[in-house]
Amino acid sequence: MANLLWLQGGACSGNTMSFLNAEEPSACDLVTDFGINVLWHPSLGVELGDNLQRLLNDCVSGNTPLDIFVFEGSVVNAPNGTGEWNRFAGKPMKQWVKALSGVATFVVAIGDCATWGGIPATAPNPSESQGLQFLKRNHGGFLGKEFRSKAGLPVINIPGCPAHPDWITQIVVAVATGRGGEIGLDELQRPKTFFQSFTQTGCTRNMHFAYKVSATEFGQRKGCLYYDLGCRGPMTHSPCNRILWNRQSSKTRSGMPCLGCTEPEFPFFDLAPGTVFKTQTVMGIPKDLPTGVDKKGYIALTGAAKNAAPAWAEQDMFIV
Amino acid sequence: MRPEEEDRLLGKIAHLLESGLKTQVEPFPETHIEFAKILDELRALPQEDLRAKLVIGGFTNTPYGPDQMRCLECMYYLVHRKWCDLPELAVPVEPDWWCRLWRI
Repeated sequence: MANLLWLQGGACSGNTMSFLNAEEPSACDLVTDFGINVLWHPSLGVELGDNLQRLLNDCVSGNTPLDIFVFEGSVVNAPNGTGEWNRFAGKPMKQWVKALSGVATFVVAIGDCATWGGIPATAPNPSESQGLQFLKRNHGGFLGKEFRSKAGLPVINIPGCPAHPDWITQIVVAVATGRGGEIGLDELQRPKTFFQSFTQTGCTRNMHFAYKVSATEFGQRKGCLYYDLGCRGPMTHSPCNRILWNRQSSKTRSGMPCLGCTEPEFPFFDLAPGTVFKTQTVMGIPKDLPTGVDKKGYIALTGAAKNAAPAWAEQDMFIV
Repeated sequence: MRPEEEDRLLGKIAHLLESGLKTQVEPFPETHIEFAKILDELRALPQEDLRAKLVIGGFTNTPYGPDQMRCLECMYYLVHRKWCDLPELAVPVEPDWWCRLWRI
């Protein structure tokens, strides 16, 4: 039996919605098959008022062992570092976060807001939001760079806007079944099992990427979304095309560019109208090239790919 | 458009360029925002105004610049169809041509 507590800071509840839609395993499976005791969750918890405060204080004091502390949403520090803009159960949420992180065996940050600060932490960041252990790409965040949970691990970051439901439940199961120490984390503390490959891995448009054929409008069933529509699939770490959404699709499969939501810089670009879904260019060459590809190599590759492109690469191959 | 119609249109464009049509090859759009402005100009044109499309697009019938940029390497060029797939242009083109909406 592992006790899990889930709290929500500056958030839209997107990760909660995602979690409740998990299938492999489902939220119910966590309880029935993996012995996870959900002490409290914003959408599932029944305690209110004094009872909730008692429950939280019991965790902080150690009367109730806290095995997994899950946090969704940013840590709100406004105004002036007090955290009063986000009060919960009688005090600023940030105080609960600090206290509970100090007693939890594992601390898991779910979604972009909890990992990097997310959209709330985008400049000018009026809510003074931070992620648990990062603020965008800067290591530190609310708990500080040196923070380690009782298991000796830093915060386990599961980014995404929202995080895929199964990334959440699979990591929770790993932690709850004593395999938390085996979760390899990358330099941004994301589980490598999910975040070592790129969104592009498994994308059905890879052949169009290879032969440099561009999609020019949303929803087109041929063409790569990278060249023109701002797709960040070649430089975003996620398994969105390996672990599909609703078991059957992904943004890029349906003709929508990847927004790079698992990377700390999300939301990208300067938010000026027309910049998000357009590939930024410098003299006709994409500003952000696929990870590991330099400009010279990209130009050479383009020439070779165009020369070698087969006729079918130019046709709409997907018949409904 | 049928293949024979595309061929006819390609011949017409080639003739216009060969006969010295002055097109706006400069300024080359250095950023995607400048690129988008040219697209806006093209969208405002009447659909049948081929000449204006070529002028604003900045077409040349030779490779361009010190890097000898040409349609063949452009992202919008469909090699087998010899066609510019950028919706605002959507015209047949030869691989050795170029226009200022070139991008790779």
